[in-house]
Amino acid sequence: MKKHSLRINDVHKSYGATDVLKGIDINIEGGQFLILVGPSGCGKSTLLNMIAGLETVTSGSINIGEHDVTHLAPKDRDIAMVFQSYALYPNMTVAQNISFGMEIRKVEKAEQQATVARVAGMLQIEPLLNRKPSQLSGGQRQRVAMGRALARDPSLFLFDEPLSNLDAKLRVEMRTEIKELHQRMGTTIVYVTHDQIEAMTLGDRIAVMKDGEVQQFGSPREIYDNPTNMFVAGFMGSPSMNFIPSKVVRENGDIGVQIEGEAGNFVLPVNGAGAQLQSRVDSEIVLGLRPEQITQRVEGKENNAANFVAPCLVEVVEPTGPDTLIFVRLNGRKVVCRVEPEAASDAGQNMELMFDLSKAVFFDGESGTRI
Amino acid sequence: MTDAQGNTIDTRARIGRILVYGTLILAASFYMLPLFVMVVTSLKSLDEIRLGNLLSLPDEVTFEAWGIAWSSACTGVTCGGLKGYFLNSVLIAVPAVAISTIIGAFNGYVMTKWRFRGSELFFGMLLIGTMIPFQVVLLPMAQTLGILGLSGTIPGLILVHVVYGIAFTTLFFRNYYVSVPDELVRAAMIDGAGFFRIFWRIILPVSIPIIVVSVIWQFTQIWNDFLFGVVYSSGDQQPLTVGLNNLVNTSTGVKQYNVDMAAAIIAALPTLLVYVVAGKYFVRGLTAGAVKG
Amino acid sequence: MSRVTQNKTEPGNRRRSFGDFIEASLPKLVVAPTFVITLIFIYGYIFLNGWLSFTKSRMLPKYKWAGTIQYERLFDNDRWWVAAKNLAIFGGLFIVICLALGLLLAILLDQRVRAEGAIRTIYLYPMALSFIVTGTAWKWILNPGLGLEKLVRDLGFESFSFDWLVDPEMAIYTVVIAGVWQASGFVMALFLAGLRGVDDSIIKAAQVDGASLPKIYWRIIIPSLRPVFFSALIILTHIAIKSFDLVIALTGGGPGYASDVPATFMYTFAFTRGQVGLGAASSMMMLAAVAAIIVPYLYSELRGKNHD
Repeated sequence: MKKHSLRINDVHKSYGATDVLKGIDINIEGGQFLILVGPSGCGKSTLLNMIAGLETVTSGSINIGEHDVTHLAPKDRDIAMVFQSYALYPNMTVAQNISFGMEIRKVEKAEQQATVARVAGMLQIEPLLNRKPSQLSGGQRQRVAMGRALARDPSLFLFDEPLSNLDAKLRVEMRTEIKELHQRMGTTIVYVTHDQIEAMTLGDRIAVMKDGEVQQFGSPREIYDNPTNMFVAGFMGSPSMNFIPSKVVRENGDIGVQIEGEAGNFVLPVNGAGAQLQSRVDSEIVLGLRPEQITQRVEGKENNAANFVAPCLVEVVEPTGPDTLIFVRLNGRKVVCRVEPEAASDAGQNMELMFDLSKAVFFDGESGTRI
Repeated sequence: MTDAQGNTIDTRARIGRILVYGTLILAASFYMLPLFVMVVTSLKSLDEIRLGNLLSLPDEVTFEAWGIAWSSACTGVTCGGLKGYFLNSVLIAVPAVAISTIIGAFNGYVMTKWRFRGSELFFGMLLIGTMIPFQVVLLPMAQTLGILGLSGTIPGLILVHVVYGIAFTTLFFRNYYVSVPDELVRAAMIDGAGFFRIFWRIILPVSIPIIVVSVIWQFTQIWNDFLFGVVYSSGDQQPLTVGLNNLVNTSTGVKQYNVDMAAAIIAALPTLLVYVVAGKYFVRGLTAGAVKG
Repeated sequence: MSRVTQNKTEPGNRRRSFGDFIEASLPKLVVAPTFVITLIFIYGYIFLNGWLSFTKSRMLPKYKWAGTIQYERLFDNDRWWVAAKNLAIFGGLFIVICLALGLLLAILLDQRVRAEGAIRTIYLYPMALSFIVTGTAWKWILNPGLGLEKLVRDLGFESFSFDWLVDPEMAIYTVVIAGVWQASGFVMALFLAGLRGVDDSIIKAAQVDGASLPKIYWRIIIPSLRPVFFSALIILTHIAIKSFDLVIALTGGGPGYASDVPATFMYTFAFTRGQVGLGAASSMMMLAAVAAIIVPYLYSELRGKNHD
């Protein structure tokens, strides 16, 4: 079983005068699942293509295992890639699609057939082996594309938004399959997506990218709980984190942030983060609270030091099934709260909401960086 | 419901339909007229032609004119009919079509899947090449053929048709390959395939429609060409169009209109047949040429 | 249980070789011949031809610069002006009639007509014929004495006469007839494709607004055909300026040189009269005419693209 690490060292990419990647440094160990996630145009696909060798590196280097592959052709990097549009060869059968690479490497016929059979078994596509891609459904094509990659038994798997063309239900199924496959094979994976749910569920390490730079690199938990700036905080998590611009105030020796709502004003105590905000008293910062940190009042928890209860005016109610989203307005901003369906009030009424500040984060309003 | 003149909407619609069909049928007869006249005239004897008129059907159908047109009509100095010229056109068209199509396919492949700096500019240059009137290259080309020892020969004409056909075939293939997904080529590269293998195993198998378009277009252009034929060939190396023109314009003796018509049909048959059989590809070629760049 | 194959591949197993260098240059190598051909046989020749037009070449090309003497001779030449005038007459009529007829037929065919496919095939087949065949056929049809004239007389119109083919004033108009016959089907095909490309929902919106069919055509559909109109215009102009085969077959440029066009003028002087310099000058004039149409069109296309 191959477990090669991947090191991307200060990689730059420019097209003429345009800088598309501005110094990327990423390090993962063998066997890890790396996610490159970000909005369109952030450079994640370009970076993936450079790891694959389909695009040249303007400066910097890329190492797979101990080998510097920066200037090697794709076929010499021992990689396999699954494309967004699957890129199955239309004139060949499924079996031929899978064995094409082996054919070129002049692998013996018997071994080719054995590999095809093994891979087909793994992905449950045996009955499709003699069909042409045009005769397959989207999900089946996806499997064949993965089969083609598996057959290469590479040092590195690359996925370029493989699930974007599938419908929602199929996407969830395939996501789980990919995760299982990774657990079984243990090969290092680099996976590009714009879907932050895929990023959170699949990755060991996530690199959140924007405008050609890595905004933050870490485990899903780190990125979720400890975002380094507003972009990362707002990008990961659905519904997005709430950003509430507020003034830092000192009340009775305690640091808090001023909140003005339709049902009354109050000050949220920030205890834990008090140290960082000391220097910011009387200035404006941005408070970041995830929807699940604003819930209905829970008996027994309200006495917890990190929790604060206050009444707010409910503007919109959106039941999603497992919970209900409540929209309130605080400091002029729309704030999303996640409450239990039975506890939700109706729109236009006041409701007591409990703010869990243990995980609250604070940002500088102008630069967006974390305080 | 009735309108001001007491006609029902249905009646108005029906009158409209009649007008539409009527005009279309009138136009159709305009287009069919020459073909009809050609066929009918070629089957009459000269006496019947003089006695009757353009549209009168022959009392006695005779294929004599066809025989003369094929093997004994006079085309200037020689009197061997069109068969020699027919063969010449075949010898010119087949290689020229094949070579220009192959080159066009490779060019289109490189331009869309292996883009390099300047490939768009190069395409623009080619495109302009399709727009020039060939009169401006006639003289220099005549000189070059002379230097190469190819003037008045069939290989010379093949060269000319290939050179001036490449721009069109490249246009066809480039516009077609643009819609072949780039990811196919990338996947093949990762699988280890190189330039030629990708072309041979991946691109070519999906190129059949455009190959047909290119072949049909080129064949029609080259078979029907007259300008290059009349300038660059002589004597018994001349293509069919030149032979036909000579046949019709020789002024020895009595004008044999039936032979002229038979000869014209002989010259027209191959491209007409191609059109009838593969018409939609022909149209695709025409309209593809109209969508420039 | 299938055995797990020992995969011996690792990144960077292969050394880079000269073969890799060739592989990387292949794309450029493959298009190089075409590039060279284009450079020489199109642009090089245009330059050479232009040069020739500034020399005193007669039977054989001479490359000594002689100034604009050939152009002066050209503009002094009666026959050239006849040819130019004929091109204007023929070109103008040919283009206008083809566009009008093509548009009309396309609109009619768009009315969900039965046997549309067959009718289209009939309209388009002339485009598959050589201009020589077309010229030959129409030469017979318009034959003074035995052709159209006799037909109409046989139908009862005793005093009908149609000798345009041999009438110096009217000969060029016969070329118009034959040209329209050959090319209008193609224009029809272009317009029909354009009509079919019009968004259905726009038409439905207009119908909901209460517009009648003719009004929909006039105010909405035809204006949206502007790009097709221009494509057709460019192509027809191109065909008109290049017209050589048709004139040779139909009238031979005659009677005399009454139906000469620049293309036949060029051929006659360059290749049968040993006036290479003059022929070259006339062909450069033809190029100028084409450029006068293409260049503004290309310019507006490119500008349009930058605006998007």
